[in-house]
Amino acid sequence: MLPLSETVTPADRNELADRVRRAAEQGQPVYPLGGGTNLAYGAAPSEPGLGLSLAGLERLVDYPARDLTITVEAGMTLATLAEHLAAEGQQLPVDVPYPDRATVGGAVATGAGGPRQYRWGTLRDYVIGLSAVDGCGTLFSAGGRVVKNAAGYDLCRLLTGSLGSLAVIVQVTLMVKPRPQCSALAACPIPDWDTAEHLLAGLVRTQTLPSAIELLAGPAWRDAPSLGPLPAGAVAWLAVGFEGTDAEVRWMLARLRAEWGETGATVAATLLDRQADPLWKALTEFRQPGPERIADGSCAAEIRVLPGHVVETVRRVLKIDGIASILAHAGNGVVLAHIPAAAVAGLRSAFRASGGSLVVASAPAGTTRDVATVWGPPPGGWTVMQALKCRFDPKGILNRGRFLVADGCR
Amino acid sequence: MIATATIPLLRELRRRLGAENVLGAPSELVVYECDGFTIEKNRPDAVVFPRSTEQVSEVVKLCARYGASIVPRGAGTSLAGGCLPVGGGVVVMLTRMKRILTIDLRNRMAVVEAGVPNLELSRALAGSGFHFAPDPSSQTASTIGGNVATNAGGPHTLKYGVTLNHVLGLEAVLADGSVLQIGPVPDPAGLDLLGVLVGSEGTLAIVTKVWVRLTPNPEDYRTLRAIFTSVDDATNAISDIIAAGILPAAMELMDQGIIAAVEEAYRFGFPLDAKAIAVIEVDGPAAGLDEQERRVETICRRWNAREVLRAADPRQRELLWKCRKMAVGAVGRLSPSYCIQDGVVPRTRLPHILRRIAEIGAKHRVRIVNVAHAGDGNVHPILLFDERDRDEVARVLEAGREVLAECIASGGSVTAEHGIGVEKLDFMSRLFAPADLKAMRRLREAFDPAGRLNPGKLLPSECGASAQT
Repeated sequence: MLPLSETVTPADRNELADRVRRAAEQGQPVYPLGGGTNLAYGAAPSEPGLGLSLAGLERLVDYPARDLTITVEAGMTLATLAEHLAAEGQQLPVDVPYPDRATVGGAVATGAGGPRQYRWGTLRDYVIGLSAVDGCGTLFSAGGRVVKNAAGYDLCRLLTGSLGSLAVIVQVTLMVKPRPQCSALAACPIPDWDTAEHLLAGLVRTQTLPSAIELLAGPAWRDAPSLGPLPAGAVAWLAVGFEGTDAEVRWMLARLRAEWGETGATVAATLLDRQADPLWKALTEFRQPGPERIADGSCAAEIRVLPGHVVETVRRVLKIDGIASILAHAGNGVVLAHIPAAAVAGLRSAFRASGGSLVVASAPAGTTRDVATVWGPPPGGWTVMQALKCRFDPKGILNRGRFLVADGCR
Repeated sequence: MIATATIPLLRELRRRLGAENVLGAPSELVVYECDGFTIEKNRPDAVVFPRSTEQVSEVVKLCARYGASIVPRGAGTSLAGGCLPVGGGVVVMLTRMKRILTIDLRNRMAVVEAGVPNLELSRALAGSGFHFAPDPSSQTASTIGGNVATNAGGPHTLKYGVTLNHVLGLEAVLADGSVLQIGPVPDPAGLDLLGVLVGSEGTLAIVTKVWVRLTPNPEDYRTLRAIFTSVDDATNAISDIIAAGILPAAMELMDQGIIAAVEEAYRFGFPLDAKAIAVIEVDGPAAGLDEQERRVETICRRWNAREVLRAADPRQRELLWKCRKMAVGAVGRLSPSYCIQDGVVPRTRLPHILRRIAEIGAKHRVRIVNVAHAGDGNVHPILLFDERDRDEVARVLEAGREVLAECIASGGSVTAEHGIGVEKLDFMSRLFAPADLKAMRRLREAFDPAGRLNPGKLLPSECGASAQT
């Protein structure tokens, strides 16, 4: 998907920095490559450039498990990271699609956050240190290896979600969490949208501690994994995820049933541990569907609104495209929708007018992927962002044309 | 800024804000020459009290025109000199912007002006079933804007995270006087400026309004106090609790020195012969608490805790927390002056750092007592002295520096929650390589090319000197 004239795989960070320095001298665009799982995110660049693979940087640097921190090179896959952590009964509670291929550096660069962000936040909340190479080929580090640190500016946050436009991330230190004993998903068919809002509003005050609050609608979920077909007459599934000790999860499931029972809603399916895995996986991958899972000419839009506007947003999307497939991380106001690419501009202006945002999270080959279509008009603070781009990447070589475009750096 | 240039600026400020909202007389300015860090002092040229974001913006534009630097200030509780007017300039007080604008439970959010004291918001939320999680010990005074500026923590950050994790949006005045709103709904089309602004110590922008996340109150608590016969046993128990995968809401440590002060002040009933007391709180659905409590107790007993007691009722819990949060203030009973440090080490290095703190105290003949957000590896050694004894002051400063150097050597950092301010500028080049500092400098320049926002803080100047004008 990227116009690569050649691809190199540096064996270590110094070699990588050298390669970026040389590219900067020649003004050659550089496209950092992790696992290549999220290349459909961001605008499609047109200028050919150097593919800079992080596959040579995949070492475990330090894992003081008792400190609940881990330091790894950016090219390590999420699956390998999870294996190291699982061996010590720990986890990174951030859902990243295709963990067998997706890399830690790529996940940080794209600011990953999936269904469990309701309880656990997104990757940004876990990056406590990193090393990166800026657009001049200079290596720098930020943060440290302690879980609480107020020394200096937190450049970790600046780089998380910056799509490799300021620097190439080569190493990351993460805060991790104990792995819960048990997890579960409880799902309830929703008869109409007013009920959906009623239940979502109720979940704000639940006595339970949900990890995820998910609203599933449209043809993609007609046969949701392990849930089966949506009962006739229902408009969506509402699924709530829990994690904890066996006793805690059992109690939360019972409590949820009781809370919902008071409103007349019933839990139609309860999936425990392994049973729930396929659904967790589907909830995680929806943002980055493979080409076979999205209709021709459609893209995955990521709409952000206040949590209280989620149902209204879903209805608005359905009004434009009655057969859109939708997944909302409803507790966080994230609405993901597989919609025709042509509908993006109209929806975006509607949501931006009410303080929301819309970006194209995944656009398969064949759809328009210029900066304006993918990201929309510049967000607030654009001048500062441009100034940052010019200072970290004065030649504008890093991921040129994909995310931050800086014109006229002096 | 030279005094002659101040006069027209003062006149302009008075004209725009009203004379009653501008201080310019030396006798009035003396109050603002320092904050909670009293070792360095410098008088500002003016102090202004804006009441709205528009007024803050006007002040910033005026200062830009006259080339004056700006020092944003909330309650002035910084312990690192974050509000010290280095080289003079105009202090912008946010304390009159203290309205709670919205409490929106459906969206688990509150919108507050920057000058709202942390505890005011908690009070306003009482009975709602929600709270604002960051709870720094300064919370009765410190403002939410100040909490944002320093990315403040507190005991409950162990489970609930620091201020950053609870900020959804910001309104801020940039160095050119323009007003920026970020959030409360994120826009992935841009960089995470919100994440960058939190903890930037007023050097990138002046935060005027904050959208904060509200956290549901846990269904239930178990607040335990464990009494240990050595500090080593206590820190080892705390380290083991973390390693065992238990995630308490808070794990606080007080050593014998501070217990004496707290007991005299509050008469909680702490045994004076205890070498260390850990306050450990687990919270969440009641269903899981008995088991967590049992596991915590087992680990404490394994490390020779002679007593593990649960707070019997909410009143006792509240008193226990009051003792902990007021502990530093109680130190006033032990000595005429004290200096509280803020260091952080990887969690397993906690026993090591407390041992070293004791050795450093002995070496420099400085009495040091300790409180710690122990579960985070965050220590607050309190160095006691008499400021009339100049030799002792010198030894205190040296011991403080040595403690922080030891934190760095142990893989930690020189501040977990107080910030760098002016106090710790000299440590930045020990913590970070020149390229790292250069990257931070670029960030500052991108926001404030002229370097007029809170100058002389957070980053050492390029030639290495800490002061700049």
